[in-house]
Amino acid sequence: MTFSKRGQIEVTFNWIYMVIAGAVILLFFFGLVVKQKQVSEERLSGDVVQVMSSILAGAGVSEKTKNFIDASGLADYTLYFSCDAGVSEFGIKDRPARTQNNIDPIFAPREIQTSRIVTWSLPYALPFKVTDFLFVIPSNVKYYILGNDADFVNEFLDATEGIERESLLNLHDIQVEANQEVRLIDTDGSSVPGSGVPALLQSFDDQKVSAVVFIAKNQADFYQKQGTTWRRLNKDAIRIISLGGERDAAKYAAIFSADDQLYQCNMQKAFKRLEFLTEIYGGKELALAEAGGKLQALITYYQAVPGSECKGYLGDYDLNALEALARLHSTTTACQQLAEHCLDLVDAAQKLKDANANLRIYCTPLY
Amino acid sequence: MGRKGQMQMTETIAILFIFFILLLFGIIFYFRYQQSAFQEKQEELLGVRAMETTLKALFMPELICSRGEAEPEDNCFDTLKLDSAAAVLEDNKDDYYFEIFSYAKITVHQVYPEEKEWLLYEKTKPESTRKEPTFFVVTLRDELSDSTQAQYGFGYVSVEVYS
Repeated sequence: MTFSKRGQIEVTFNWIYMVIAGAVILLFFFGLVVKQKQVSEERLSGDVVQVMSSILAGAGVSEKTKNFIDASGLADYTLYFSCDAGVSEFGIKDRPARTQNNIDPIFAPREIQTSRIVTWSLPYALPFKVTDFLFVIPSNVKYYILGNDADFVNEFLDATEGIERESLLNLHDIQVEANQEVRLIDTDGSSVPGSGVPALLQSFDDQKVSAVVFIAKNQADFYQKQGTTWRRLNKDAIRIISLGGERDAAKYAAIFSADDQLYQCNMQKAFKRLEFLTEIYGGKELALAEAGGKLQALITYYQAVPGSECKGYLGDYDLNALEALARLHSTTTACQQLAEHCLDLVDAAQKLKDANANLRIYCTPLY
Repeated sequence: MGRKGQMQMTETIAILFIFFILLLFGIIFYFRYQQSAFQEKQEELLGVRAMETTLKALFMPELICSRGEAEPEDNCFDTLKLDSAAAVLEDNKDDYYFEIFSYAKITVHQVYPEEKEWLLYEKTKPESTRKEPTFFVVTLRDELSDSTQAQYGFGYVSVEVYS
């Protein structure tokens, strides 16, 4: 009897021991699997960000090119773009992987969840090339262009082949699929401000319907749907800092930017680069209205050429390269401190463009 | 009975010992594999960074041969810009250009018409273990040559990235 009881205890103990040991081993492997899953997901999101960064870096330097990226593998992820104090951030929403950049201006919606992305780069010149603007355009956003600026409407339709876009005569003629996002481009401010949201778009989520309105010369306003009305996002007027012309990168940047904050933050990156470029062309001495850099090399060269008028175009005549470049430099510095000064960049750049045109005719151009 | 119990106990300990030995082997193998995979990934990333840095250098507005409002010349550096670029890049190395090139050394070598060298950017990494050099042939435009038109020399840009 005693023997049987002892045996029973031993068997029970063995089973308990086995169950505990089994559970510990199982827990160990279960923990390992969970950890591995977590690491794999983090690695995958890191890889995605890295690959996307490489694609964006490549696209950014390939001037005037459009790249169509099949992102069907990323359709479950939401990519986000933000920009604050001249530093933009790009990553996958709710994941740790992200990358920051204070160099390349990237204009994009705030969030993207799509199976196809179009990247398009346009050179930004003021008046010489400053940088390439990169536009990130998801395939599920449809751009509707309307207004009386027929030249720009035609140019936009020509330039954006491969992107979902359509021109409208009347805002209320809009036809859109339920799963699409909508960006309206009002080329002259005659359609969006003062009118309500078209009936067809009223059922859409507010975040999925937005508008950019170009009013006057060099000015844009950003709007977001708010129920049945439009809410202007920018408090102050947003200036388009460019010399105009076809494929105006600064204007297209406004079209493909989510809002005024993302637009201005990325434009500031371009202005910072412009400051360094003016120093390459004119040296640090520009701050003292003196020549340095490439300009000084040109002045020194033409001083030694007897009878050459080039020195006059470079630094002596009314419209000369030194004065124009020094003004561009000081305006660029001022623009980075106070946005109101940025509009002066247009005039300063135009002056340098004119001075360079004279140099091109008579001597060696600056750029 | 006591002897049988001892035998069983010894047997259990032996099994546990073998189990943990196998587990240890597994862990060592796993970490070795992870280590080599990590090193491979590092090398791959260094290669990608070398290519990206070269690409960025080739298209830098600070260096390229501009043509007014027209598209710049491909794979061409303006020697007058090169003369002044080194100082601007050096002055703003830590707060701006490091973001573009990271730890790298960028040198432009002119081979023809005469040998010349411009060290544009250098930021070495402390305790760097590897470097990946990349070379790319470029033309070098000299706008102040004695002839009426710009003269073109040729050379190469050398980009070394450090890991």
